[in-house]
Amino acid sequence: MVLKREYLTRVKSKGFIWATILVPAGFALFIGVMIFVSVWDSEISYTIGVADETGMIVKSLQEIDDERYTDVSGLSVDSLRAMVQREELTGYVIITDDHIEGSQSLELIFSGSGGLQLLTTVRSDFRETIRQERLARAEVSDDVRAIFESRVALDSRRLTREGEEREDDTEFLSGVGFLMGVIIFGAIFGYGGYIMRGVIEEKTNRIIEVIASSVRPIELLTGKMAGVGAIAITQFAIWILAFMGLSAVAGPIAAAFMSNSEQMGADMAAVESEIPAFLDLPTIETSLIVYFIIFFLLGYMLYSSLFAAIGSAADSETDTQQLMLPVTVPIFIAYAILFHAMRSPDSALSVIGSLIPFFAPIVMVTRIAITEVPFWQTSLAILLMIVTFAGTMWLSAKIYKVGILSYGKSANFKDLAKWIRQ
Amino acid sequence: MKPIEVDHVSKSFGDTKAVQDVSFEVEKGRIFGLLGPNGAGKTTTIRMVNYITLPDSGTLLVNGIPVGQKTQKLIGYMPEERGLYKKMKVGEQLMYLAQLKGMTAGSAREKIKYWLERFGAYDWHSKVVGELSKGMSQKIQFISTIVHDPEIYIFDEPFSGLDPINSELLKEIIIELKDMGKTILFSTHRMEQVEQMCDDICLFNNGKVVLTGSLRNIKKDFGKNTVLIEFEGDGSFIDTLADVRVNNRSTNFAEIRILNGLNSQEILKKAMEKNEIHRFQLVEPSLNEIFISVVGEDNIKKQQLEELKA
Repeated sequence: MVLKREYLTRVKSKGFIWATILVPAGFALFIGVMIFVSVWDSEISYTIGVADETGMIVKSLQEIDDERYTDVSGLSVDSLRAMVQREELTGYVIITDDHIEGSQSLELIFSGSGGLQLLTTVRSDFRETIRQERLARAEVSDDVRAIFESRVALDSRRLTREGEEREDDTEFLSGVGFLMGVIIFGAIFGYGGYIMRGVIEEKTNRIIEVIASSVRPIELLTGKMAGVGAIAITQFAIWILAFMGLSAVAGPIAAAFMSNSEQMGADMAAVESEIPAFLDLPTIETSLIVYFIIFFLLGYMLYSSLFAAIGSAADSETDTQQLMLPVTVPIFIAYAILFHAMRSPDSALSVIGSLIPFFAPIVMVTRIAITEVPFWQTSLAILLMIVTFAGTMWLSAKIYKVGILSYGKSANFKDLAKWIRQ
Repeated sequence: MKPIEVDHVSKSFGDTKAVQDVSFEVEKGRIFGLLGPNGAGKTTTIRMVNYITLPDSGTLLVNGIPVGQKTQKLIGYMPEERGLYKKMKVGEQLMYLAQLKGMTAGSAREKIKYWLERFGAYDWHSKVVGELSKGMSQKIQFISTIVHDPEIYIFDEPFSGLDPINSELLKEIIIELKDMGKTILFSTHRMEQVEQMCDDICLFNNGKVVLTGSLRNIKKDFGKNTVLIEFEGDGSFIDTLADVRVNNRSTNFAEIRILNGLNSQEILKKAMEKNEIHRFQLVEPSLNEIFISVVGEDNIKKQQLEELKA
């Protein structure tokens, strides 16, 4: 009954509907913006005038980017300056033989627009062309030139315990693991806060005693936690479905956008294979999703029992700050370990962090996503969390039972200790 | 089998002994008043009867069954600290509360409709409680207490915070429930309310029962030893009286309790010396007076005394 009410009233509330719609919408918007940025970005053009006394560099530059570099050789410095001031040119560079023969550095005189990205591009373009020109002048053999241009690639492949070799997608999985950790972090806070506010609401509304005359406080507490937990799962399910649907749709749309932009027309094939890869959720193993859900639920239960106790002890939401501290500190420590775990998932700190019940939901999921976590570690973490949950639940049930019926002032830790001993 | 039996019940919170060795019985079909100043242990006792708080020792029976989840369904309880979910619609809220008390959806719907119509509140059915005025939500509160049609009703300080119209309404409901043969227990620290309504009372002070029984018998036992006197003139004669306790004194009225067999005519004589007497009456003492004489003036904290007189 309690579960049903918690679930239904919240599901029907405007807040839930908005959150459910807005989060994926925000996500879609984010992805959309990312795609737009990558498409539109390259179309903003800057014109760099190149006054080339050697006559060689400007040609190679124009081969790299025809639109960005214009040949302004022969124009006087004054007129170049004037053109930059009139914004006909973004900037100009004067190249002399000295730059190629000697090691004199080049100077880009520009209006300041274009920022870091422009500077980086221009710098690398010039470096490349001048290096080529130097090689050409030195009359280096093609072999040497080939050696110079060669790059050593490092492809990584994973050897699983079953002896099977797989494509390594550590980078992708690190991202996924990190994202999952962050989602659990946010969800524990979000839904835990939900529970806490729910308890405080019942207290400030003074309905709690009416309810307590019908059901046991522990039933109310567990019903409430289960109800909000069910909401969390509903919301996650909606999001995952929306995300899957979105990634199915977004890939082709993005590809369509890309094909419209002429520059990238040639790269169509590459783009098509790239975009779905970065949106593709289904490549994540199902076992990871299962672990994600297990650790989310356990973490949620662990923390929400504490949040409920805080809610029952406080008299209003503003009074929760002091009591919140012992709960928020471990979450933030876990969050800090998460960053570490993403970089080196098998280090001692990561392993220990992922076993401590209060950190496990955030850290362990990240580790599972990135690396192969030994089975004993996951099961130990789960076991420890269940045991700890039993403890926190017992503790918060005691606090809750007394807290919900004490009005007027917020309890401090001394009061809580007294309530637990009762 | 009595509706409510409280037998040697004690409850402490830390060092505070909220209720000490309390026993009383509530008879079927009667209105039972739990009286005493604030902090006397009334609410704690009521919460134990409702199985919200558990006693440290002693037994509580409701309809002969030890209190528990089963007995919760037999009781309609309106706590002193009461309220409703502000964001929930009236109809849904009543439905939820009725179902928590074990009603089926069908019969709950029927009862909710009946009571809403009875209070002229059916139009509010789909309104959110937060939109209602205070008086309106108090009516919804009554309905939530009585909707599951229990045998026993418990109201903790029911009249505190009620507007006069709803106070009258609640009195009507209580009388009506009594006429239907239901059992009602309510607590109050305002004695005059009890005099009007209760059949039986139980007086609490400092966590202990100091007096219990039928209101009529208690009053009879104390005898007609209180003088009500209305006069015009100089009231200073009252100060010269010995062996009396003066309650409710004003410029031309006094309620005087005779303590040691002083002849009431003596008072009249003294009063007549300097005053014109409009009224002189020998009556049973008020509950207030009874409470004071049972507990003893010294045992009542000064502040509580003022509260009682207020």
